[in-house]
Amino acid sequence: MAKEVRLDCLGEACPVPLIKTQKKMANVAVGDTLIVEVDHSCAIKNVPEWARKEGFNCEVDEVDDGQWEIIIEKTK
Amino acid sequence: MQIKDSPYYKSFLKNPWSYVAGAVILAILNTAIFTITGSPWGVTSTFAMWGAWMFKALGGHPETWVYFQGKSGETLAKGIAAHTGTFMNLGIIVGALLASLLASEFRIKKIKNMKQVAAAIIGGLLMGYGARISFGCNIGALFSGIASMSLHGWQYLIFIFLGAWAGSKMLVKFFM
Amino acid sequence: MESTKNVSRKRKKRVNQIPFGVALLVGVIIIGYLIKDLGPKHPMTWMFGILLGFTLRNSRFCFTASLRDPILTGGTNLSKAVIVAITVATIGFSAIQYGAFLKGDPIPGNINPAGIHIAVGAFMFGIGMVIAGGCASGTIMRVGEGFVMQWLSLVFFILGSLWGAKDYGFWKSNFMDKGLELFLPDAIGWFPSLIVQFGLLLGLFILADWFGNRSKN
Repeated sequence: MAKEVRLDCLGEACPVPLIKTQKKMANVAVGDTLIVEVDHSCAIKNVPEWARKEGFNCEVDEVDDGQWEIIIEKTK
Repeated sequence: MQIKDSPYYKSFLKNPWSYVAGAVILAILNTAIFTITGSPWGVTSTFAMWGAWMFKALGGHPETWVYFQGKSGETLAKGIAAHTGTFMNLGIIVGALLASLLASEFRIKKIKNMKQVAAAIIGGLLMGYGARISFGCNIGALFSGIASMSLHGWQYLIFIFLGAWAGSKMLVKFFM
Repeated sequence: MESTKNVSRKRKKRVNQIPFGVALLVGVIIIGYLIKDLGPKHPMTWMFGILLGFTLRNSRFCFTASLRDPILTGGTNLSKAVIVAITVATIGFSAIQYGAFLKGDPIPGNINPAGIHIAVGAFMFGIGMVIAGGCASGTIMRVGEGFVMQWLSLVFFILGSLWGAKDYGFWKSNFMDKGLELFLPDAIGWFPSLIVQFGLLLGLFILADWFGNRSKN
């Protein structure tokens, strides 16, 4: 069954959210979804950019002022 | 909220602009600054001035240093209110605040752990000292230096890249 | 932090910050009028500063990332953007410099000696910006965005600058005065310089693009 994995990157400065996301994505199974919680405005640009380059589905959801959840689905 | 649904609001104030759009606007602004002030955009020499004014206020005598002979010394003597670089740096801070408020994304981001404190202190000191002995930062020496067609700008690019490589190793090992 | 079932995402009641932004914009304009008494160039530099901060933040422009991401994450989009910025600025800068040359004035611009001081300083700066999460422009932009870490780093940036200024005499007499100050057009002429400059930038752009696509499989 597809799982949902959360990754807490609140308070982390660039490029830490992206590195942690890359490491985590390597470990989740195909079909799983990773939710990265960030509050660094650059991360909502560079994380989705990387994810889409890798060919994953990716969406950004603003959950609070200046706080986001980046939802990445490992499609392959 | 009607304004938040406007496509103009979204494309100008809410959604990130493309990097290339930013690059072109920054290049035009740098050229404009060069035209009106006589020297290209720089950020860090203003930090040295701020430090010197604070040091002076505390009773120090930075005006005796080699660095403050000549033009920087005149700026030091005239004081902070006359210094245009100060207003430019304050403008960058306020401009970024303005952009995040208009996007409704401002929040105070607290420090997460002691590693970040150490990184900020060591990183800040290294950047401050490094910028003074190499005529600037990524803006003054790299962006404006290369665009001025000076050899030192190209040399700066090579060594800052090596520094970034070393810094990346340290970041992953100690500060993450 | 892992969960197997769908977590319902709580939404806090959000404050609309746009009115604060508009109020700040009005304040910015008023300050622009007030500071004209401090000096004739003040309102213009203030406005350009605001535009720089606004642009840096909204395009998420980051010089640190342009140099660090190829190493750490394999991304080169910002590296390519910085090359574009330098290329566009070269056009404007060379026009200003050539204008001064035609009038017989000294050539303006950031033309400084190359040498050991640049190697040491740039290397230190490179380490510092990666671990502190932002260079000079990135740090002050994030100060405005509310990052407490960058507030701290700015304080030590200023202290480091003061320290560097104190030791400047040592670096000047030992290295800068013996360094090589070279303005490309002085060495090889204006037209060839621009050819070399644009050629190098184009080569770097292609290299960055190739490197960025390489990790895509």
